[in-house]
Amino acid sequence: MDYLRNFFVNLARSWTAWIGGFLPDWGVNLVNYLVVGIILVLMPVIATLTLTWMERKVIGRIQNRIGPNRVGPWGIFQAFADAVKMLIKEDIVPSGADKPVFNLAPILIAGAAALLWAVVPFGRGMIGQNLNIGALYVVAVGSITTIAVIMAGWSSNNKFALLGAFRVVAQLLSYEIPMVLSIATVVLVTGTMRMGDIVERQVAPFIVVLPVAFITYLLAAAAETGRAPFDLLEADSEIVAGYFVEYSGLKFGWFYIAEYGNLFAIAAITTTLFLGGWRGPFVSVAPALGPFYFVIKSVAVIFVLMWIRGTWPRFRIDQMLAFAWKVLVPASLANLLWSAIVLQIGRQPEQLGPTIVQMILLLVGNVAILAVTGLLLGRAARRYAAQHGWAGA
Amino acid sequence: MTLVNDSTTVPAEPTAARPPTVGEQLAARFPNAILGASTFRGDTTLTVAPTGLTDVARALRDELGFDHLSNLSSTDWSRYRGYAGKERFSTIYHFTSTRTGERIGLKVFAPGGDSPAVPSLAALWAGANWPEREVYDLMGIKFDGHPDLRRILLPNNWPNHPLRKDIPRGGETVPFSMIWEDEEFQSFGKQIVEAKSVQPVPPKQADANKHMILNMGPQHPSTHGVLRVVAELDGETVVAAYPDIGYLHSGFEKQGETIRYKDFLPYTDRMDYVSAMSNNLGYSLAVEKLMGVEIPPRAQVIRVICAELQRLASHLVWLGTHIMDAAGVSHALLMYTFREREQLSDIFELISGARLTISYIRPGGVWKDVPPSFVERVQDVLKAFPARIDEYERMITENPVWLGRARGVGKLTAEQCLSLGVTGPLLRASGVPFDYRKARPYSGYENYDFKVPVMTEGDTYARYLVRLEEMRQSLRIIDQALKNLPDGPVWTADRKMALPPRQELDTSMEALIHHFKLMTEGFVPPMGEVYHSVENPRGELGFYLVSDGTAVPYRLHVRAPSFHNLQATDTMARGSLIADLVLVIGTIDIVLGDVDR
Repeated sequence: MDYLRNFFVNLARSWTAWIGGFLPDWGVNLVNYLVVGIILVLMPVIATLTLTWMERKVIGRIQNRIGPNRVGPWGIFQAFADAVKMLIKEDIVPSGADKPVFNLAPILIAGAAALLWAVVPFGRGMIGQNLNIGALYVVAVGSITTIAVIMAGWSSNNKFALLGAFRVVAQLLSYEIPMVLSIATVVLVTGTMRMGDIVERQVAPFIVVLPVAFITYLLAAAAETGRAPFDLLEADSEIVAGYFVEYSGLKFGWFYIAEYGNLFAIAAITTTLFLGGWRGPFVSVAPALGPFYFVIKSVAVIFVLMWIRGTWPRFRIDQMLAFAWKVLVPASLANLLWSAIVLQIGRQPEQLGPTIVQMILLLVGNVAILAVTGLLLGRAARRYAAQHGWAGA
Repeated sequence: MTLVNDSTTVPAEPTAARPPTVGEQLAARFPNAILGASTFRGDTTLTVAPTGLTDVARALRDELGFDHLSNLSSTDWSRYRGYAGKERFSTIYHFTSTRTGERIGLKVFAPGGDSPAVPSLAALWAGANWPEREVYDLMGIKFDGHPDLRRILLPNNWPNHPLRKDIPRGGETVPFSMIWEDEEFQSFGKQIVEAKSVQPVPPKQADANKHMILNMGPQHPSTHGVLRVVAELDGETVVAAYPDIGYLHSGFEKQGETIRYKDFLPYTDRMDYVSAMSNNLGYSLAVEKLMGVEIPPRAQVIRVICAELQRLASHLVWLGTHIMDAAGVSHALLMYTFREREQLSDIFELISGARLTISYIRPGGVWKDVPPSFVERVQDVLKAFPARIDEYERMITENPVWLGRARGVGKLTAEQCLSLGVTGPLLRASGVPFDYRKARPYSGYENYDFKVPVMTEGDTYARYLVRLEEMRQSLRIIDQALKNLPDGPVWTADRKMALPPRQELDTSMEALIHHFKLMTEGFVPPMGEVYHSVENPRGELGFYLVSDGTAVPYRLHVRAPSFHNLQATDTMARGSLIADLVLVIGTIDIVLGDVDR
């Protein structure tokens, strides 16, 4: 029973002890690194296989359909059938494409999706590497996606792909700023960039302390990964598939894997930063529950994103950029400023995480920022309507 | 067989003392330009000299209020009975007043023999541009002063003008019908050879060095079929959009001129295949007008119910695909609207056996009486739909992203609409309360209490609201029609179109001959020409029929709403973003079968 309470860590310990019996220390480290690495690299693939099924089912139910139900019970093996189809499809490189760049882009984007998982804490002590710059690492690795997408769009020698690449530059660079600002707020409040420590210091989930930062991060992350309603990079009704329109077969599959790997990764990071990560009832008694809480919270975030996808129209590029620069950036800057001020009030030396008073103050400030933002947005919408002859609407 | 049908006599029009008609006013004003006037089935057609056409048309528009150029077509008279080497070609223009619903036709005999030319009306109505190109393409009549006279439906190097009577149906050169010795065989592999009479004009694409030319279509997810839009882009901004059509052109008009009137009905299903019932109705009414027959009241009410159900179904398809344009295939509304449309398709299947290409409303009535469960099924629709439409409204009407996307996009003013010949919900969303069901009621629409929704904003959002309200009004019409569904026959009793009853065949030789003639030859309308239009879900659907007193139409022209509305693409999309261009195409609600025919 005690073994089960902290099952995953105990499992790792027994494993290490077992291979330590016949391997030298460096061999044990090597094998462990390899195993962890393989698990992390496989995460995007696992995410793709499970999330495509989930997305089809969720969107299907939202659309009053059943979704896949032919391959396996409830269609759970649909994703495998799709994977097989993708593997055996012809790989086409368009004539006139910049071949090295064209071939490198899918590798890069899938690699970036895998790298993100290195700093995701699944449970206490269950983290690939508790980097001292974990939060910064998340942002930095996220930017590799931008490069890969531009490479794919540019090298395809296709106007739709090029238009997609234009949009990528504008969109991803714009939304990186509110994303960094909202992560910075969390870092400021917790006083650490280590992803593991951020979870440790989240006495209350930051969604109720810093709702502005949470909303900003979720929206920016959705934009970063090209999820609806920010899926302009691949807007199927406008630029067909955008930057990956010319890809087929397994190369297309890499984009697919990256998309769902990123989706799971941003959900995981949202969970880590704002939903208390692996924290939950009885985790202190049985740390093995942590990963379950973590996955449940992540899936809840993913579900919200899918829900939005099924019911919201897409932004237009100018509206989307205006939304980033005129709404998200000011709001998250105000939030950052307020957090900095609050944390200076009654600051204790050696303080880890905010105190109760500080948290209440942070929440009050956040609610105020939300109210002001909503008010200004409403006024802007009315002004926009009046401009187009919709006064009083 | 030369049996003479006694039904070809034209009933005399009653003449009484009245204020001068439009024709008389014009004849007094332009004594040199108006060469004659004729009235057939209540349609007045003035014959105008080519030189006077522009002046007469301008007077019609500016002084007499005929602000809508409904239809522009042409006829090749060379095989017409009584043609004696006069001008071979004529063009015909039908003008409608959006205020009073009055209509007048102008006919111009084109001078120039086999290479005729008439003045262009494109300077007065910008919307004359495409119809004139169509006439030039299919009939070979040149329009002097046309800004961009080149082929529109057929390829630039098509060898002939197929609607001319000396061009047989399917008469173009097909290489594999040749033998090796033919010298024409050199064109093997080039199925279409260069036309000598047509100068190919390259599409006007402005400075391609500065701007990117993006080919949207003919394979593109949101062009709603095989439409190709050549979009000239400056970054993401649309500098100009040139729709390129004709990919689905199947020569329905030429086909219609080789088969009997009743045999053309299935073709109308396949033009605007999203609202087949409305097309059936439009064509049937035109043929009945030509024949001069009355339709029994039960058939009329059934027609109204079916046409309004079809309007619901068509608007549902529009709504689902329109949201799909704005949101992508994952948006839930698409499947919701198709669920409701399924219910309507089931009703169509119940009454006709077909779901899409229905051919239920036929010249003479409707195919068969509706089955007993029809009323119940339609009542189910009436019960379910108001809540469903409210549900759609809750999903997107107030959605801030949808508001941002749809408001101010694809604006058209009332003047632009009238100039471009745009009809239907687009016209009504721009503030012109013009609906053929009110302006020129047909099938008893004057007996129903319904409103024509009108908005003045003229953008995509206004058109969205107008169409949603039209769905509610359609439900009101269906409700009233169901309550007042009379008993009786569903096929006309007029022996010009109706078969004699079975028992008469045993006793009357005349009835037997009549039966034989109707079955073998088909009904025969008198000589004359009519234009009749109905309010299709997309706008004005008109049929222009010329009869030479045989059972086969001499000339059959379709005034397709999508064709005319699509012209407004450039006006609506210019200066907006590429995402708006997609919405603009969606808001026009085109059906490519209707555009290309």
